[in-house]
Amino acid sequence: MIDFRPIIHVIGILLAVLAAAMMLPVLTDWLNGFEQDAVVFAACAAGALFIGVSAMLAARTGEIVIDNRQSFMLATLAWIVLAGFAALPFAYSNLGLSAAGAFFEAMAGVTTTASTVITGLDSAPPGILLWRALLQWLGGMGTITFVILALPNLQVAGMQLFRLDTAESAHRAMPRAAQIVAGIALVYVALTALCATGLRLAGMTGFEAVAHAMAAISTGGFSTADQSIAHFRSPLIDAILIVFMILGSLPFFLYLQALRGNPRRLLRESQIHWLLAVLAVTILLMTAWHWHHSGERFLHALDECAFNVVSIVTGTGFTTAHYDSWGGLAIAAFLFLTIVGGCAGSASGGIKIFRFQVIYASADTQIRRMVRPNGLFIPYFNGRPIPDTVANAVMGFFFLFAVSFALLALGLGLLGLDLLTSLSGAASALSNVGAGLGPVIGPSGSFATLPDGAKWLLSFGMLLGRLDLYTVLVLLVPAFWRG
Amino acid sequence: MIDLRPVFFVIGILLATLAVVMAFPALIDALAHNRDWTVFASSAALTLFLGVALVIANWTPRFEIDVREAFLLVTLAWVVAATAGALPMMFSRLHLGFTDAYFEAMSGITTTGSTVIVGLSSAPPGILLWRALLQMLGGMGFLFMGVAVLPYLKVGGMQFFRMETADRSENALPRLAQVAGGIAVIYLGLIAVDATLLWAAGMRGFDAVCHAMATLSTGGFSTFDNSIGHFKSLPIEIITIVFMLIAALPFPLYLQLVRGRPGRLFADSQVRTFLGLYLATVIVLTLWQWLGGGEKFGDAVRTVSFTAASIMTTTGFVTADYQSWGGFVMVLILFLTVVGACTGSPAGGLKIYRLEVLYATARSQIRRLTQPHGLFAAQYAGRPIPDPVASSVMGFFFLFALTFAALSIGLTATGLDFLTSVSGTAAAMGNVGRGLGGLIGPMGDFNALPDAAKWLLSLGMLLGRIELYSALILLWPDFWRG
Repeated sequence: MIDFRPIIHVIGILLAVLAAAMMLPVLTDWLNGFEQDAVVFAACAAGALFIGVSAMLAARTGEIVIDNRQSFMLATLAWIVLAGFAALPFAYSNLGLSAAGAFFEAMAGVTTTASTVITGLDSAPPGILLWRALLQWLGGMGTITFVILALPNLQVAGMQLFRLDTAESAHRAMPRAAQIVAGIALVYVALTALCATGLRLAGMTGFEAVAHAMAAISTGGFSTADQSIAHFRSPLIDAILIVFMILGSLPFFLYLQALRGNPRRLLRESQIHWLLAVLAVTILLMTAWHWHHSGERFLHALDECAFNVVSIVTGTGFTTAHYDSWGGLAIAAFLFLTIVGGCAGSASGGIKIFRFQVIYASADTQIRRMVRPNGLFIPYFNGRPIPDTVANAVMGFFFLFAVSFALLALGLGLLGLDLLTSLSGAASALSNVGAGLGPVIGPSGSFATLPDGAKWLLSFGMLLGRLDLYTVLVLLVPAFWRG
Repeated sequence: MIDLRPVFFVIGILLATLAVVMAFPALIDALAHNRDWTVFASSAALTLFLGVALVIANWTPRFEIDVREAFLLVTLAWVVAATAGALPMMFSRLHLGFTDAYFEAMSGITTTGSTVIVGLSSAPPGILLWRALLQMLGGMGFLFMGVAVLPYLKVGGMQFFRMETADRSENALPRLAQVAGGIAVIYLGLIAVDATLLWAAGMRGFDAVCHAMATLSTGGFSTFDNSIGHFKSLPIEIITIVFMLIAALPFPLYLQLVRGRPGRLFADSQVRTFLGLYLATVIVLTLWQWLGGGEKFGDAVRTVSFTAASIMTTTGFVTADYQSWGGFVMVLILFLTVVGACTGSPAGGLKIYRLEVLYATARSQIRRLTQPHGLFAAQYAGRPIPDPVASSVMGFFFLFALTFAALSIGLTATGLDFLTSVSGTAAAMGNVGRGLGGLIGPMGDFNALPDAAKWLLSLGMLLGRIELYSALILLWPDFWRG
């Protein structure tokens, strides 16, 4: 039997944190004269706090010990329950969202996907805007914690590669997991503050700067304007966000090491090299093509390509251009880029760079073995040999990702969406990017017009993608519930 | 060093065979008083000369071929055969350019079935027969490769089938020859049966033979622009559905069937999965068309079961414009295009066997997550899957996805739209031959594409046919070293 008490206890704590976070929109709305919205937030906060504290008290156990199966349950349930409570303010404010719409928006926030169903953001009450920003920001921090602490020990989808990382240095520099998380949280907050300051100086209002900084560092992508970053028409803002989106998609653990006097790891990490190489090559090719075909000024083309490519690859989903009207190449390229994702150890989603490295190294080894059946070839990652189990787990992940993508796209098709919307919607949700392609959900559209069924399906896709598939899928295996 | 002599020797034999087969279209054209017979005759002469020259020049008393030479041979054989097959198309009355002729020949020999020829009904009979023959030969070549070559080269998990066809003892080669011979007889026999039935159902004899070759090889070239839809005949459609499905099952099992072990055929997990998937697709699409599309139930069953069979067996015949069935159907068909049918058949795609291995591996991984100390061996057909096979299959899947992305982005760079590029890549790499969209969809053809796109698609067909590794391996520096 699975002991649910620790799970419920932890979820209770998380709910209490969520309730505390809701006080910020209450304050903002109150100060800006949106008393009605402030009351909605306050009521939701009270509800969340009450249920959270009751859960904590009711399921209190002496010492919290969580085994593997409980971790899988906890992660999945935590994201669902938090999204459910986070959806309350959306549902009860006067945005007129359906239950599906409100849950979709909240799930998009906590999974740092940031697809939005709200139109008219420019005139939305500040509380709602702040709440969306906070959700991503908290979701991003939650993801990083989960990725660093839980996933490697659960041996999910090749994440065990990074267990050695944490454990090795744990002996010397960082004795306890709590300390690591606290350190990372500090880095996270500092980067957000830095980004917000930059954006403020570049001409955003203070509120916009904070909201966008939270969205960039968490690789979320909710904006405070319907037109996203295109609203600001400022190359300087674009440049600042490019830098911080990339920073947000690098392994946060290495920042911590860098701060503790070991910056070399950060510079030597092969994930980062690959990510930057992929970005540079893609941006160059795309700029050349776009410049040639659109007849825009070179710098403008470079700005547009660099910003949108970085935004999609890092899983953020800000947009500054309607790139799906640039022609077939842009659509195909952006669709494939959607699933690439950033580095492990960040809040970025998708397949992630390290998995491509592992699969490529294994495929390369296989081909060498085929040429010389008696040779000895070993695949390497970051200078260390990749164990067979890791290679297999990564390739299994790749296959499951493809299957989930196919099933999700088929489901969306069944609900009546067209081909491009189905494919790009599924990719964007699974990779936690948030921006789709095509007239419906593309940079010029919104998810508001989708049928409710599609919103539920996409919410499920975001959850699957956020928890690296296995964490959720394992719950669907009968063996999980046995014994 | 790679010894090229055995490679060229085998290619010489191949060319000589092609030359002999070219005599058939020459004969047909001569009988029909079509001047194209001279084109076929001279192409045959040229090909024969080249083939025999290669055979003589590279004659070695002891014929031995190692792994690297075999990879080179597999790739070169397909490239050279397509070139020879393109000769008659270039110089015939159709006056195709080299690009078009090569595309058409590659499409035939890889049993893809994408065509650039418009106005098939008025094309000379020699050309039509040649297209059918190319597919027939290509299908047979791939069947041989699947039994005798790929398992030994360990391509994409094919080593799993090594133990089945032959043990490693001294008499492996004669046994392989026996198996290959048996499969060839069955293949030709099935073509004969299909042709007879089609003829009995009302096709002209010539059309019946051409379509039977296109069906059993899962090629899909027709002698009419609107494919099987031209005949508007229920019996012809039913016969074609049945034989497309027959062609998509593993041929070695037919050998078992003939040898008195019919149980093996339906106990085979690939066969079960493939037929199950086919039935599920037919049911879902029929309901979609009947309830959602407002089609009459009978009509829906008829068009859906034909379309599903044609795409899933990677044949590519058409009786209905399935593009008008809505977004869901397009997404489904796009995915089915790359899935493909069983290994051991002339069909293309990822193949059911690989998907089963991938599924079993992923499943055992998930179960291991719940019980980290449990022992869960992934199984295929009741046998545990060896680790090298599993990684080989997964590597194949990854390379397929990567190649798919690269080719489709390449196609968009030639100016094609998204749907044409993505579905065109799928149709080429899956050796299906039918894409989606206004240009290359069920009612279109590949004629209007830019030349660069045709070359990219020819490359895609080749890569799909020789299961990627044989060609990609040539790009590795290691291959050419030492």
